[in-house]
Amino acid sequence: MNRRATPDNPRTGRGRPGRIPLLIVAAIALAALVVPPLLPWTHSAIGWDAVRAPLFAPGHLLGTDTVGRDLLARTLVGTRVTLAVALAAALVALIIGTAWGAIAGWCGGRIDEAMMRIVDGLYALPFMFVVILLMVVFGRSIVLVFIGIGAVEWLTMARVVRGQVIALKERPFVTAAEAAGASPVRILTGHILPNVAGVALAYLLLTVPQVVMVESFLSFLGLGVQEPLTSLGILVKEGADDMDLQPHALLIPGGVLVLVIVCLTIAGERLRDRLAR
Amino acid sequence: MRALLFRRLLTAIPTLLCVVVLSFVLMRLAPGGPFDGERALDEETRAALDAAYGLDLPLGEQIILYIGRIVRGDFGPSLVYRDFTVSELIAQGLPVSLTIGGLALLLSCALGIGGGLWAAVRAGRWQDEAVMGAATLLTALPVFVTGPLFVLIFALGLGWLPVSGWEAGSPSHLVLPVVALALPFAGAIAKLTRAGLAKALNEDHVRTARARGLAESQVIARHALRPALVPVASYLGPAAAGLLTGAVIIETVFALPGLGRYFVQGALNRDYPLVLGVVTLYAGLIILFNLVADLIYGWLDPRMRAE
Repeated sequence: MNRRATPDNPRTGRGRPGRIPLLIVAAIALAALVVPPLLPWTHSAIGWDAVRAPLFAPGHLLGTDTVGRDLLARTLVGTRVTLAVALAAALVALIIGTAWGAIAGWCGGRIDEAMMRIVDGLYALPFMFVVILLMVVFGRSIVLVFIGIGAVEWLTMARVVRGQVIALKERPFVTAAEAAGASPVRILTGHILPNVAGVALAYLLLTVPQVVMVESFLSFLGLGVQEPLTSLGILVKEGADDMDLQPHALLIPGGVLVLVIVCLTIAGERLRDRLAR
Repeated sequence: MRALLFRRLLTAIPTLLCVVVLSFVLMRLAPGGPFDGERALDEETRAALDAAYGLDLPLGEQIILYIGRIVRGDFGPSLVYRDFTVSELIAQGLPVSLTIGGLALLLSCALGIGGGLWAAVRAGRWQDEAVMGAATLLTALPVFVTGPLFVLIFALGLGWLPVSGWEAGSPSHLVLPVVALALPFAGAIAKLTRAGLAKALNEDHVRTARARGLAESQVIARHALRPALVPVASYLGPAAAGLLTGAVIIETVFALPGLGRYFVQGALNRDYPLVLGVVTLYAGLIILFNLVADLIYGWLDPRMRAE
């Protein structure tokens, strides 16, 4: 009964690595990188003669906003900023999380317990408010946005890496390396971490959409990325303020945001489920 | 169970203290203060203001005084809303936020558990795939996109519901914010319920129940559902934190006079006492909710009750 009940059963086709979702994100990222320099307008060029141009207006494929800035350029640049912040913050989370989890898992005993207690404690905190506090305190620079987000998104990574390290610690090849006289640092970096990389990559893929969400959240409230720079969160906010006149100003950046989050989540979940088997 | 609760409380209080001290120190380290306006104040006025608000004392002393006042429910005066104390602002905003958050939590549990159950019973069929696909989509929809989108469709487009506002909590004003806030959590709960039930249906005690000839609905209701909901219960803690943060956005989008809006205003205006008060309250609420989740956990899984 219920042969197909488990979520990662190969027969249902789930659990395949998410090639299509990753390709979609790659296409969006490529467009965001390559296209803006080719456009006749920059994302911040104000054009009073073309305020609130409709979709497919001549010269403005996606129209313009309330001060005549080209929405195609703005959406692409906003996507670029959002993805760059997300990637940087996810890398910060990867570095802190991997280091923390590897040290806790390798040392074991009291050190492990103390380190994981701290992680448990931090899990109970209202993160978004910590990030907002950081933004208020250190000013709203873009570098701090991603360091701040990365610094609070590393917890899951630490737990996952710790579990992997504990499982790998008892494997024969580690014992062999120990017997051969390798130092703990060498065993960790040369023998254990390479084996953690796959799972870490899956959680990196899952962290990126989380960070995209946090960054857009902050920018939406005016606490994240600041003008003249733009991001998908700012565009959604601007679109929402003007949606009764120009619904597409909300729908297009919102759609790109949702597409990126959905694709990265699906790709990450599939990779994770595949590695778990 | 009591021992477990006691232990949790023992860690909850230091956690809360840490949050207060940390946010206090962070706020004081911030460059710029609440009295930095367009025009620089002269030395004397500034010193008088600092003395009046206790900003001239050593940091450690300020923290101890602050914690002492919090314990008595006094969060100090708001620096921006000059006529109100922070406690008064919280007293105004909290009922609004709790109404929205509580209703959204109930709705997401009902939708999520219902949807997950419905999908798990139809495991492997197209209905299952459809519900799980929808759940994945829902968890990826940020409230700051769905909120304005709902306003666009149901308020501006169809004219069924009001665009924004509170109107003393009239039901028609509650529908859109509550639904927008609940949807991502409904998706996550549906996924957890579906996975939990798929696992529980393969357990020995469920096979035994089937062998006794119980109807499938009985098997699920009496034997499989309770263990299947354990992961849902452990998600409730993070969900509460998520609902509170989501409420910040929802209150901004729908112009609701809740805590979240005061928090954002306070953060933008460097209103230290207001931001500190709200963060402390949020941390307390999240810790309280984690305790409740532990209780539910113990009720669902008797093994948790044993020491």
